[in-house]
Amino acid sequence: MSEMWINMGPQHPMTHGLWNLRVRIDGERILDVDPEMGYLHRGIEKISEDRHYNEVITLMDRTCYVAGIAWEHLYVQAAEKALGIAPTERSDWIRMMSEEFQRLASHIMWYAAFVQDLGLMSPFLYGMRDRDLILDLFQSYTGGRLTYEYMRVGGVRNDVPEGFTHRAREVLDWLEPRFVEYDRLCMGSDIFRRRCDDLGVLKANDCVRLGVTGPMLRSAGSKRDLRKDRPYSRYSQVEFDVATADSADVTGRYLVRMEEMRQSVRILRQVLDWLDSHPGPVLADHLPRWLGAPYAPIGREAYLLKRNYPKGVGLSAIEEPHGEACAYVVNEGGEHPYRVKFRSPVFANLSAAHHYLVGYHVADIPPIMGSVDVCVGEVDR
Amino acid sequence: MNPEDVRTKLAAAGAPGIISIEPFEGVAARVKFDPTAATALFPIVRDALGFPHLSMVGGIDWVERYEVFYLVWSDPAKTYLLLSADLDAKAPHIETASACWPSANWHEREAWELVGIQFDHHPDLRHLLMPDGYQFHPLQRAFKLHEPEDLEVKVRHV
Repeated sequence: MSEMWINMGPQHPMTHGLWNLRVRIDGERILDVDPEMGYLHRGIEKISEDRHYNEVITLMDRTCYVAGIAWEHLYVQAAEKALGIAPTERSDWIRMMSEEFQRLASHIMWYAAFVQDLGLMSPFLYGMRDRDLILDLFQSYTGGRLTYEYMRVGGVRNDVPEGFTHRAREVLDWLEPRFVEYDRLCMGSDIFRRRCDDLGVLKANDCVRLGVTGPMLRSAGSKRDLRKDRPYSRYSQVEFDVATADSADVTGRYLVRMEEMRQSVRILRQVLDWLDSHPGPVLADHLPRWLGAPYAPIGREAYLLKRNYPKGVGLSAIEEPHGEACAYVVNEGGEHPYRVKFRSPVFANLSAAHHYLVGYHVADIPPIMGSVDVCVGEVDR
Repeated sequence: MNPEDVRTKLAAAGAPGIISIEPFEGVAARVKFDPTAATALFPIVRDALGFPHLSMVGGIDWVERYEVFYLVWSDPAKTYLLLSADLDAKAPHIETASACWPSANWHEREAWELVGIQFDHHPDLRHLLMPDGYQFHPLQRAFKLHEPEDLEVKVRHV
């Protein structure tokens, strides 16, 4: 049979976002792939150079639309280091809670979309149902369900409302038995196992060489998790285990994400207990008005009083739901960051597509790409 | 790992072109190096210092010069290391890191098209986020927002 290039995307159910996977095939076999990105490029790094430090937070929600608050967390940590500001203790715990809730929501969203890619419709509905409960929680304390604009340089916008920890525990109590059901639907299904075992294999040394991180790396047996290896926020004060698998295939990635959700619930219970017993301010009080006036709108009128901070460079790295995310913020003394650079985990995971797709069949592409958990917003930025 | 450890290990491995090694918050050290020594330095950092994972490559336009920085991670030491080199403002170029860290491939493509840094001997220096034929480097300081650009997009036929 003759070889040919086909386009999977930019409008294809497999892509989960706007991007194009060009595939060279011989019959059903994949010979070469070339991901074509940029359909969602909004120039977030460039726009950030024209925004006040807090205004960039609005862009962070749009960076990854399923893990917005994790990106806010990444950015505010780097901006704080660049400006020499420390967040209050309580706000740090609230941020960590937000990130873990976001990880749950992101992984459940991944589960729903991934299993639907395999042709199973009901798990999709179960996943969306359960994710909604987490979005309700987000709405109750940030006001947003997808784009939160919640964190601030020096803390968070507001404290959690009364009764929040109780409602959050109820959601966690509901979620934990659901994970058992998810597992029964997938790991208990012969069809699922035959579809996913030994598919899209990428061994640990290849992952390291190619910059692949997150659940893909951990499914190959590596224990690298920035929450453990380089604890940021208050992760050194909570107990959890790093989820790993050995198979390095699609099933392995599924197992890692499932275990990560259980560990997130474990972390969240500890954080909620801490929040119950440690009231305090959630925004540093020595901030100039342009950075930290409580309840200040993000618009320009909040920045009438300007003060220049000494120059500095801030670097932060977090374990985002998809993997290792880094931010590099250069403060040259003005009101705007001089340069903002982000490292998106999916960007690196996708760049290795050649190594986990070639050799398989065209029908294997949806499960493999589904297990990568592509979020185009953070790839293109 | 602290800047002194980095200095000792780099010296023991005979790393060329080191300009300075300074402390930097959140990483083991920031190593400034001479861009002409990149080809020899990268494998030393990867193997002798033990940083096999490259997190990102980024470029900064400082108007009078360009800076390119590499963030690398070590699993045993559980720390980052920041490498940075100053490049000429007129024709910023440096040898590609993708021969040493294959993950640099896309990061360098991005830094090339957005910042305008040329990566010599890069295997595949094509546009990644911008359309083919795009002639601007948006992350350069001279590229101003809110100004219309004269853009002609070439359509690629496959």
